[in-house]
Amino acid sequence: MGTFDQEAVLRRYAAATETAHAELTELDQHSGDGDFGDNLRGGLRDAVARFESGASGPFAALGEVFLDEVGGTSGPLLGLLFTELAQALERTGDARDNGAAARAWAEGAGAGLAAIQRVGEARVGDRTLVDALAPAVEALPQGFASAARAAGAGAAHTGDLRARMGRASYVGERAKGRPDPGAVGVALLFWAAAAVAEPDGDFPAPVTTPLG
Amino acid sequence: MSKPFHPAHGDPVAPALRGFARAHADLVELHEDPAHLVARHRAPGRRVGLVSGGGSGHEPLHAGFLGRGMLDAVAPGKVFASPHNRQVLEASRRAAGPDGVIHVVKNYTGDRINFGIAAERLRHEGIEVRRVLVDDDLATESDETATGRRGTGATVVVEKLLGAAADTGLGLDELATLGEAFTAASRSLAVASRAHTSMHTGDPSFTLGAAELEYGVGIHGERAARTVERPSTEELVDRMLDELVAGLPDGPDDVLTVVNGMGGTTLLELYGLNELVGAGLERRGLAPAGGLVGTFVPALDMAGFSLTLTRTEPAWKAWWAAPAVTPAFPRGTENGGTP
Repeated sequence: MGTFDQEAVLRRYAAATETAHAELTELDQHSGDGDFGDNLRGGLRDAVARFESGASGPFAALGEVFLDEVGGTSGPLLGLLFTELAQALERTGDARDNGAAARAWAEGAGAGLAAIQRVGEARVGDRTLVDALAPAVEALPQGFASAARAAGAGAAHTGDLRARMGRASYVGERAKGRPDPGAVGVALLFWAAAAVAEPDGDFPAPVTTPLG
Repeated sequence: MSKPFHPAHGDPVAPALRGFARAHADLVELHEDPAHLVARHRAPGRRVGLVSGGGSGHEPLHAGFLGRGMLDAVAPGKVFASPHNRQVLEASRRAAGPDGVIHVVKNYTGDRINFGIAAERLRHEGIEVRRVLVDDDLATESDETATGRRGTGATVVVEKLLGAAADTGLGLDELATLGEAFTAASRSLAVASRAHTSMHTGDPSFTLGAAELEYGVGIHGERAARTVERPSTEELVDRMLDELVAGLPDGPDDVLTVVNGMGGTTLLELYGLNELVGAGLERRGLAPAGGLVGTFVPALDMAGFSLTLTRTEPAWKAWWAAPAVTPAFPRGTENGGTP
């Protein structure tokens, strides 16, 4: 088992959203109003700055920024997930062992999924970020690489789904063929966690842009 | 083209909130960043704070109903846009009573999500929250969509009845159940003969011929599902009452009515409509039990009106008649209402 570093996950996630910004924007123009790439990248930049200022830990900073500052609906919903992850990591004493960290993530991501579903009222299959998050929560007990694969597959599958909720429901069938940007944004988080925890693991990136 | 008198630059909501707080400084206080307003006075027996909010452009909703007997805090969004969850969070923190907070939410996706996120955050802080979802608009009743009926004119009825009930010292779950009952007993329907004026262009947001009417219109400047040939006013009210009465669930014959202007409709018209509504209900064997006539839930300056009917349980009548000391609800004294 390797070691887990929360700060490295935040930085890897931030770098991945910089690299994938154009692709996320293009996906959202296909199904929404095109601001998801800006919202995710902007939120991660602010979260890194907040963490570096010493105000909060890496995931607490993510939660605070996405709940308080990020616009749109998916941004604050992601804030609920980050906040639950931060609290679960804090309860387990900032686990640095991969196995303990994956268990903390399973607990935090599970609580985040429940909160997002209470608020957003989306189920699996509605073409939302829940389609990436729910399989990741299920796979986390098998480790970070497994969760990254599950989230990536869940995000890719949203390309076959018709939206029932959210802005994409207004364009109906036209959004099909490309994955939901919110689901891809969640899959990027699990990709970043796996890239830190299991750098030699087998988990494809959830975007076509090379993440390096 | 006829541009509204908003400030030349920037968002029209922020200066209007300051002007509102200046006009009603004895009743409300304004907090900015994030924007929310709080009532200065509340009944001593109230155990639950009542919080509402939503897009602006529907004034006097919601801030006009802040005060003793109605709401404790509100979160106003930009024009026709949901408030941010942080506004709802701050408003709720200030309003919370010893038993927690009730969110009165009109049924729109953005409002549901932003109030919902605030509710999650409040629960983390140990503040109990229940939601009362107002979904009275008959025109959006459909089995085909998951979104459900929109929340419109019944909001003011729910906020009045719930406020009076909260003043009797009822607890969180009792009030949430009552709020759901008030909403369930209410249906509304709106028509428009002229769209609201776009703030940016000064032109109507959609155009209608003189012989046309938007039937089942919402409060956000969108077109209705149907454009109909304009009937006489008497025929129109009859048709609306037929649909509303058929759409209401079973219940008592006593009915509260709201004859609400959409922003560009005169009181001369609204009182005339109220007479048609009262007489029309009596012809149908129902008993008008008081209500409101005026502009309470408009869509900027749209020319049109909505009718709201609420089947009223005997116990609710005293709550309707109870005093409400707010900027906009027309009842300030013990003798104000029709019991």
